[in-house]
Amino acid sequence: MKAAVFHGPKLPLTIEDVELDKPQDREVLVKTVASGVCHSDLHFVDGLYPFPAPAVLGHEAAGIIEEVGKQVSYVKPGDHVICCLSVFCGYCERCMSGHPNRCSNKAATQRSPQDKPRISQKGKAVNQFADLSGYAEKMLLHENAVVKIRDDVPLDRAALIGCGVTTGVGAVLNTAKIEPGSTVAVFGAGGVGLAAIHGARIAGARKIIAVDMFEGKLAMARRLGATDTVDASSSDPVGEITQMTGGGVDYSFEAIGLKKVAEQAFNALKPGGTATVIGMIPVGEKVEIDGYMFLTERKLQGSNMGSNRFRIDMPRYIDFYLQGRLNLDDMISRRGKLEDVNEAFRAMKAGEVARTVLMFN
Amino acid sequence: MKAAVFHGPGQPLTIEQVEIDEPQAREVVVRTVASGVCHSDLHFVDGLYMWPTPAILGHEAAGVVEKVGSQVSYLKPGDHVIACLSVFCGYCEECMSGHPNLCSNKAATQRAAGDKPRLSQKGQMVYQFADLSGYAERMLLHENALVKISPDVPLDRAALIGCGVMTGVGAALHTAKVAPGSTVAVFGAGGVGLAIIQGARIAGARMIIAVDKFPAKLELAKKLGATHAVDASKGDPVEEIRKLTGGGVDYSFEAIGLKVAAEQAYQSIAAGGIATIVGMIPLGQKVEVAGYSLLSEKRIQGCFMGSNRFRIDMPRIIEFYQQGRLDLDDMITRRGKLEDVNEAFRAMKAGEVARTVLMFD
Repeated sequence: MKAAVFHGPKLPLTIEDVELDKPQDREVLVKTVASGVCHSDLHFVDGLYPFPAPAVLGHEAAGIIEEVGKQVSYVKPGDHVICCLSVFCGYCERCMSGHPNRCSNKAATQRSPQDKPRISQKGKAVNQFADLSGYAEKMLLHENAVVKIRDDVPLDRAALIGCGVTTGVGAVLNTAKIEPGSTVAVFGAGGVGLAAIHGARIAGARKIIAVDMFEGKLAMARRLGATDTVDASSSDPVGEITQMTGGGVDYSFEAIGLKKVAEQAFNALKPGGTATVIGMIPVGEKVEIDGYMFLTERKLQGSNMGSNRFRIDMPRYIDFYLQGRLNLDDMISRRGKLEDVNEAFRAMKAGEVARTVLMFN
Repeated sequence: MKAAVFHGPGQPLTIEQVEIDEPQAREVVVRTVASGVCHSDLHFVDGLYMWPTPAILGHEAAGVVEKVGSQVSYLKPGDHVIACLSVFCGYCEECMSGHPNLCSNKAATQRAAGDKPRLSQKGQMVYQFADLSGYAERMLLHENALVKISPDVPLDRAALIGCGVMTGVGAALHTAKVAPGSTVAVFGAGGVGLAIIQGARIAGARMIIAVDKFPAKLELAKKLGATHAVDASKGDPVEEIRKLTGGGVDYSFEAIGLKVAAEQAYQSIAAGGIATIVGMIPLGQKVEVAGYSLLSEKRIQGCFMGSNRFRIDMPRIIEFYQQGRLDLDDMITRRGKLEDVNEAFRAMKAGEVARTVLMFD
């Protein structure tokens, strides 16, 4: 099958033939229908986070079950599924205490090093990225990396839920647990930021301030639920937010992955407020907080994949979509083919798109 | 009346005569019976935090009501009270949403700038510290800076509850909400740290690790509920905590006010853990957390006076004391007179005491 292969930082992905093994025991083979191009992949391509090459990137995909291993009972061929990198063992302390997104026993869902690799090229292992590898015509996954969904949802929209939407909406609903009537600032109006804005709207925030450097993205943010916008290219967003809210927001979200922005998100809080960092801040960079600010009970916390329990959350997000409360249609800026993946990275860096979705026939 | 007056950073407090005004409207005159010497006062004496001079420090006191203003209904002369710096207006957003410790309208409880000052010396204003000024024979306070307590509680024990115990127990029970069965590390086994340890014990933590550099303090920590002790002078406490817990604690607390201890507290928590900064980190110092570590959903948060609603909490803390579940007796290391305040600061710096309490006749 065809896949976009990563050979190392700063190299474009190349379209190559790779082999996929047969599903074992609890594994499933999924025909990829749509695969979103998410910013986190770019972090690895840019070398800000390391991953061993060769590998197949991609971690925001939806498709149809083609084949299942002999112990699989949750899905059957023909089922529509969303994949999620938050594969969970289901029995470690974290899984059992409501935090399967932090599963500490992922090895139980993976093949061991001496097994035949799931993905290979001429007999040599190709590393699977995030237990998924979605930039490929097919995916071989543990069944606990998929959620079954109703088959009347377009799979390109469903793919977005697989990472960006769950990360953004979940950061608001699950990680920060914002309250109705509260005030919110979202730094970064890309795919994840827009999803956070949606989440804030669903949860009943009274003021939702979108912060970005691109006017086009701020316009989109307003369309999707932001009540106010701040153009960070022409003003100090902390000063602006403090003024607009009379002292800071109850909740702020960092949806880019920049140290400086994480610090701004914290400094834009009112006393007692909570800043949630969603973006992946490059390895080696430190977020610096003025020590005395802790005296006012401000909080800084991380969010991983929207603190998801994705088998519970994703069907709910689909309901929100079908009810018109979560606009996924406008979040897809462009559609392309697998071959367009490098162009999709370029457009993302240039701030031209919320999301490109790669479509497979 | 006699008071210990602060004339500027780096200088010892001096015992002087100070005049105290009559109580207006909602004000109360309290005869000070016991006043604890808390580390936060030392921050101001050492110039790490600023306060205008001349001022009377002290903010951990208990006493007996002597006189009340014309609009006071909550108290009458003869009532035993604990004073708390978390004076609250009772009607701002913070007060009305359960966070009176973050009251944003304290001016409503203070005298206006043009009024006669509460404290003065030969007609010149003496600044009241933290709306209390407890290093004095009497205190003139807003009634919302007081909680009435049962007269059968020794007032030296009660004084401790006024700041250090409330801060520590509250940090565990209110700010962090320590869950039964969880694991806890407390950096610093002074007055506040020992109170956190006791709070964690009350909350049912299964492992309570005390971290300090003084063996005597670690001994006391064990007596008061710590299940493990780590001597930070003999190695890296983060490593030790990870080893003891197999990867990190659920909750950590910084109870010193040191940047490095705050960072260690954060580094000691497991994925999804919460580090609570209780100490006052000197102005100008930044706490640094590795950006990528936020991906494991860690949280670092501030705490102010144990997130108290002190009129609710302090009577409960007294019940714990009376039931033998909170040891206040062993937290008073020494008793002294007002004149001994500078010696008490010295002993605190030298790590000789958990608390000195100044007694008034």
